[in-house]
Amino acid sequence: NSNNVVTDFNYTPTHQLPFIKPAASTQVTSHRDLKKIVETTLNSESVLEQAVKLPKGEDLNEWIAVHCVDFYNHVNMLYGTITEFCSPTSCPKMIATNEYEYLWNLYPGKPPVSVSAPKYVECLMQWCQNFFDDENIFPVKENVPFPPQFVGRYCRQILKRLFRVYAHIYCHHFNEIFEMNLQILLNTSFRHFCLFTRNFGLLTDEDYGPLLELVNDLTSK
Amino acid sequence: LSRSPKKLPTDFYSKASSSKTKRLVDVCQMFFLDYYCDMFDYVISRRERTREVAMMLKDQPNEQEVASAWQGYFQKESYALRKRRLKPRTKDFE
Repeated sequence: NSNNVVTDFNYTPTHQLPFIKPAASTQVTSHRDLKKIVETTLNSESVLEQAVKLPKGEDLNEWIAVHCVDFYNHVNMLYGTITEFCSPTSCPKMIATNEYEYLWNLYPGKPPVSVSAPKYVECLMQWCQNFFDDENIFPVKENVPFPPQFVGRYCRQILKRLFRVYAHIYCHHFNEIFEMNLQILLNTSFRHFCLFTRNFGLLTDEDYGPLLELVNDLTSK
Repeated sequence: LSRSPKKLPTDFYSKASSSKTKRLVDVCQMFFLDYYCDMFDYVISRRERTREVAMMLKDQPNEQEVASAWQGYFQKESYALRKRRLKPRTKDFE
């Protein structure tokens, strides 16, 4: 059985590709087939661990910038599936467990305030989008450098806040996600996020707050 | 004991089977399949390209030429990566 080959994933395309892309002979008729193929890959150990590593010769800023946008898209997609279940009525506060509430700086110059979870996510996504659209922060043209302290000033803040959406989903909507059979996607995306942020030391244990134990589990072998 | 009770909103099933939710779930699944296929493909082929450059430069005696060849290659890769960040993404589904 070819499934056994996956355990040693060392990125030699010849023997990995069958698990990542369907071979020419594989008939993919529905995305259920495709899903199986990617799942096979994602379930094998260390695939994501390797994928988060900085490629040889790459600029760290560029690598982190791409991942900020990627994880922003992940969170957008995952949260999108529970929009029907995460309303100002069901989630009047942006919380993760009863111990953590995240406030949003809704009125600039004033202290941050308590907002509903959907409102928080809406503000957060717009706030990220504004950074991504600003060419002085996320440069677009070739050879235009990133601003000083790009990672500390922007990326860390973005990732720290995106994490809170994962936290809210895990703590308050995991049953819905599970019933819709999206838990593998959520886990994969979140594990990818954790491996990435841990690998580059982007978030502190405090930032992982309510999910610290899960993060430790997911990032240790 | 066999199954712990699940806290689901009372109207979970009607909402979960609504066409809007179903569509969002489908879009989400397609998005992640696409993303991870594409991401692994990128990481793998990039390593392969780097390996090829290393092979090509292995027997090149002129150190300066080797250094500048690597630099040119890294610049090209870096810009390709930047363009990946900018490519239109599936973000306008809500």
